[in-house]
Amino acid sequence: MSKELIRLSDCVVKFDDEIILDHLNLYINDKEFLTLLGPSGCGKTTTLRIIGGFQKPTSGDVFFDGRRCNDVPPHKRQVNTVFQKYALFTHMNIFENVAFGLRIAKAPEAEITRRVEEALELVNLPGYGSRSVSSLSGGQQQRVAIARAIVNRPQVLLLDEPLGALDLKLRKDMQVELKRIQREVGITFIYVTHDQEEALTMSDTVVVMDKGNIQQIGTPQDIYNEPKNAFVADFIGESNIIDGVMPEDKVVKMYGKKFPCLDGGFAPGEPVDVVIRPEDIDIVPVEQGQITGTVTEVTFKGMHYDIIVDFQGFKWLIQTTDYSPVGARIGVKIDPDGIHIMHKSRYSGMFGDYSSYSEEYDELSGDPAGSEGSDETD
Amino acid sequence: MKKNSIFSRFFTFLVFLFLYAPIILLIFFSFNQNNSNVVWGGFSLHWYKELFQNRIIMRSLYTTLLVSLLATVISTIAGTFAAIGFYGLRRRTRNTLNTINNIPMMNADIVTGVAMCLFFVAFFALWKDFALWFNSIQGLVVLPTRLTLGFPTLLIAHITFNIPYVLLSVSPKLRQLDKNLIDAAQDLGCTWFQAFWKVILPEIKPGIVSGALTAFTMSIDDFIISYFTAGSASSTLAMTIYGMTKKRVSPEINAISTLLFVSVLLLLAIINIREARLEKQTARRQAAPSATVAEMARQKPRTVPPLVRFAAAGACGVLLVTAGVGAFHNTRKPVVNVCSWGEYIDEDLITQFEEETGILVNYQTAESNEALYSLLKSGAGDYDVIVPSDYMISQLMEEGMLEKLDYSQIPNFSLIDDRFKNLPYDPTNEYTVPYTWGTVGIIYNTAMVSEPITSWGAMFDDRYAGEVLMFRNSRDAMATALLYLGYDVNTTDEAQLRQAAGLIADAKSRGVYQAFVMDEIFLKMEGGNAAIGAYYAGDYLTAVENNPDLAFVIPEEGSNWFVDAMCVLKDAPHYDEAMAWINFIASTEANLANMDFIWYASPNKEALEGYPAYYEELYEEELDQETYEIMAAPAETLERCQSYISLPAETRRLYNELWITLGIQ
Repeated sequence: MSKELIRLSDCVVKFDDEIILDHLNLYINDKEFLTLLGPSGCGKTTTLRIIGGFQKPTSGDVFFDGRRCNDVPPHKRQVNTVFQKYALFTHMNIFENVAFGLRIAKAPEAEITRRVEEALELVNLPGYGSRSVSSLSGGQQQRVAIARAIVNRPQVLLLDEPLGALDLKLRKDMQVELKRIQREVGITFIYVTHDQEEALTMSDTVVVMDKGNIQQIGTPQDIYNEPKNAFVADFIGESNIIDGVMPEDKVVKMYGKKFPCLDGGFAPGEPVDVVIRPEDIDIVPVEQGQITGTVTEVTFKGMHYDIIVDFQGFKWLIQTTDYSPVGARIGVKIDPDGIHIMHKSRYSGMFGDYSSYSEEYDELSGDPAGSEGSDETD
Repeated sequence: MKKNSIFSRFFTFLVFLFLYAPIILLIFFSFNQNNSNVVWGGFSLHWYKELFQNRIIMRSLYTTLLVSLLATVISTIAGTFAAIGFYGLRRRTRNTLNTINNIPMMNADIVTGVAMCLFFVAFFALWKDFALWFNSIQGLVVLPTRLTLGFPTLLIAHITFNIPYVLLSVSPKLRQLDKNLIDAAQDLGCTWFQAFWKVILPEIKPGIVSGALTAFTMSIDDFIISYFTAGSASSTLAMTIYGMTKKRVSPEINAISTLLFVSVLLLLAIINIREARLEKQTARRQAAPSATVAEMARQKPRTVPPLVRFAAAGACGVLLVTAGVGAFHNTRKPVVNVCSWGEYIDEDLITQFEEETGILVNYQTAESNEALYSLLKSGAGDYDVIVPSDYMISQLMEEGMLEKLDYSQIPNFSLIDDRFKNLPYDPTNEYTVPYTWGTVGIIYNTAMVSEPITSWGAMFDDRYAGEVLMFRNSRDAMATALLYLGYDVNTTDEAQLRQAAGLIADAKSRGVYQAFVMDEIFLKMEGGNAAIGAYYAGDYLTAVENNPDLAFVIPEEGSNWFVDAMCVLKDAPHYDEAMAWINFIASTEANLANMDFIWYASPNKEALEGYPAYYEELYEEELDQETYEIMAAPAETLERCQSYISLPAETRRLYNELWITLGIQ
C-alpha cells in the first residue's frame, strides 16, 4: 500500500487527572480513508484534535510526513478539518466561507474565484455562492464545510462526526458522497464517528477505540468478522457473546455441548468468549436443534424479525425471516463458520446478553448501561 | 364581526392615545407663545430659539453627548473583552461572575450613585495625602493635591454602569457561537488573533452593537448616578432639565424634550429602514440561486467599501479628539462654580459675565436649602458660590462651612440697601451679599373662592377641602400653622410645634389638602386645578401672567420674609473668580435684569427703586403699582413679617420627626 503519512507515537492526553488517551500508537497511510470509531468519551475526537494541532499530547510524539510536529500550530499544518456542527461563518455568504482559507493565504482573486467554483461543484452546490449560511439545509451546510476545507488542497482532511446532525436518509446519501469526494481529490481522510455502520461503509481502515485505548485496527471485514474482544464484537453490529471453553482446536463447548468451529490455537481447556452473529443462527425444529430455547420477544424489522430466545437463562438475539410466535419452543443450528472464538478480555461478560433488549438497544450499544442486564446472568 | 373590528380598532386607538398623549401634549406646548403649559397663547418657535441660545442647555448637551459617546466606546470595548474572558472560564466560575455582573444592574441607581460619590470623595482624600507626601520627597513632578468631582469622575461612573449592559448583550452571542469557530478559522490558516478579528468579532457584532446602543441610551438617560458624580463643574442634559423643572416645566424644556424625542424617533427609523433593506436584499439573493460564482464575487463589495469605513472611523476619531481637547481646554480657563436655585437668574447675565471677564461659569441648581445642605455635607458639592436662604446661612456659618468675603473686591456691595445689611443671619456682614428677598403668602383663584382670602386659616378650612396646596418643605409648612396659631415662626417650644403639626395633620386627615407641592403649584394654580396655595410672592407674579384670576395676599396674621444671599464656601478653589461673580451680580444692571426675569425683589437700592422706570422703558407700559408692591413689599407689610432664623439642632430634629409623622416625603 501507499506510504505512511501520520504517526502517533505513545501519545498520552490527560485533563486534570483524567486519562483521555492512554499510550496511543497509530499510523495512517497516505490517501487512506481511516475511521476512528468508538463510543463517546473514547478519545477519538481527542486523537483527531492532536492531528489537527488543536490539542497537544501530554506526552508522546506526533509525526507528519516523518517530521515531528507536536509544536506546529493548526494554521501551519497541511491539514483541514470538517467540524461536527460545521462551524460555518454566518456573517459571510457561502462563497466567502469557502474562499476564507484562500484569502488568508492571499491567493490571487482570479484563482480564488476559480477554486471556490470548483470546490462548490465538487460538493454539488454550484451557484450557491451568494446564499447566506442560514438559508441552507443541514446537508447543504455540511457540503459547504467540506468545500471550505477541500478548497485549500490539504494533504489530510479531518472529519469530526460530520454527519451526526443529519437525518438517516441524508446521512446515507452523504456517506456515498464523501466516499466519492475522497476518490476524486485523492487525499487522506481521517473520519471520526460513533456510528459503526458509517465506519464499515466508507473506511479503508477502521480503528475501534474505547477508554483511550485502541481495541482493534483492521479493514471493515476484519473488524466485523474477526472481532478481537467482546467490546469490538458488541460495538460493531449485534453479537451474542457466550462463555465457552476450547477443549481442542476447532471445537468449542457451550451449554455443556460441543460445537464445531473453525478457530484454533487456544490452550486446551481455555475459557473463551464465543461470538455468534444474530444472522448466522438458523431456526430449526426442536428435535433438529443443537440447543433449544423459548421465544420471549418478537420484533418486526421489515426485512427480518428480531427474535429474543431464552437459552437456559441467557438470552440470544436471532435475526431471521421466519416468524416464530412468543412462547414457541425452537431449536437452533449454527454453522461452524458462524462461530467466532475470542480470548477472554476485560470486556468479557459485559456484552452480548439480550436480557434487557429493547428498541433503544441500538442506541445504547456500547454504553456501559447496556451491560447491566448481562451481569444478572453471571 | 365588523362591529368587533371597529371596537378593537377603537381599543387600539385608546391604547396609543394613552401611550402618546403626554408626549403629544408636550410637543404641542413646546410651540406655545406664552410660558404656560396649560394655557395656549398661540403658535411660536420662540422657545426653540431660546433653547439654542441657552448656553447652559447647550453646554450640558455637549457634556451629555461627550460623556455618552466616550463611555459607550470605552465600556463596549471593555465589556466585549470581559465577555470573551468570561466565556473562556469554567462554567461555575462564569455563572458566579455573571451573577455578580448582574447585581449592579438590579441595584438601585441611587445606591450606585451615592456609593460612587463616597468612593470618589474617599479616594480624593487618600490622594491628597499621597500627593503631599510625593511632592515633599521630590521636586521633579508636582502632583495636584486637590482633586474634585467633575467630567472624569462622571465618565468613570458612566463606564462603570455601562459595562454590565455590554456584557449582558455580548455574552449570549458568544454562548450561541459554535465552539469550533475559532478552531475552524485557525484550521483555515488564521493565527489566533486573525481568527478573533475576522471571525469571532464579526459573529458577535450584533451583540456588540446592541450592547453599545444600550450603553449609549443608558448614558443619555442617566440622571441619578450623574447627579452624584458630576460634581459642580459639569452637568448632563438630564441634570439641567431636572434643575429647570424645579421651578416649573417651562416651554423651553418642552422644546428640548421634543427635539430629544424626534432625534430618537429618527434614529429608530433609520435603523429599521436599514434592517428592512438588508432583509430585502438577502431575500432577493436567495431568490436567484442561479447567479454564477463570478457574479457573486463581484457582488462582494456591496458591503461598505473599506475607504468609507476608514473615513467614518477617522471622522469619529477626530470628533472625539476635538471633543476631548475641548473638554480639557475648558478646564484650563479660569472658572467659577455656582450653585443656585432653578430659574433663579437671567441666563444672559452668565454669558455677559463670561464675555467681560473671560471666567467660565459652571452654573448648577439645587432643589432646596435642605438638599443643598446635604450635598455640601456629603463632600460632593464642590462649589465656590452658593445662594442659600437666611436661616440656612446661619446654620452653615455655625458649622464653619463659609469663607469670609473680601469686600475690597466687591465694590458693588455699597449699592446694597442698608436694610439688607447686617441682618441677624450675618450680624457683622462678613460673609454674605444679598441676592434677592421676598415674602411668603397665599395665592388664590378669585373665580374659585367666594370671598377674598385674608387669613392663614384658609389653609386649614374645610370649605376648601381638596382645593388647597400646602408646602412640601417642613419649615414653610410649619410656619403657616404657627402663624395661624399666633406663635413665633422661630419658636423652639415643643408644645407649640406639636400643636402646629397637629393642625396640619388634622387638616390632612380631613382631606383639606389636594397635595403637598413645591413648583408643581404653577401648573395647578394656572390651570385652575386648585383654589388656594401658599407660596412665594415672586412666583405668584409669574403665575398671574398665565391666569389673571389669581390673587396674592399676605395674611393678616403676618408672614415670613426671606433673603437669599451669596456666600462663598470654605476653601473655595476659585476665590477671586467668586468675588468677581458676586460683584458682577450685585451691580444695578444685573439686579434689574434679574428682577425682571424672576420677579423677586432686589436688595440693590438703585435697582429696586429704579425698576418701575426700567419696566416702562422695556415694555413701554407702566408697571402696575400693586404688582410692584407684591414683588417689593413696602415697609408696613414687612413689619408684619418675620424672617426665619436658624433653629437649634434639637428643634431641627423635632421638625424632622414631625414631618416624617405627617407622612410626606
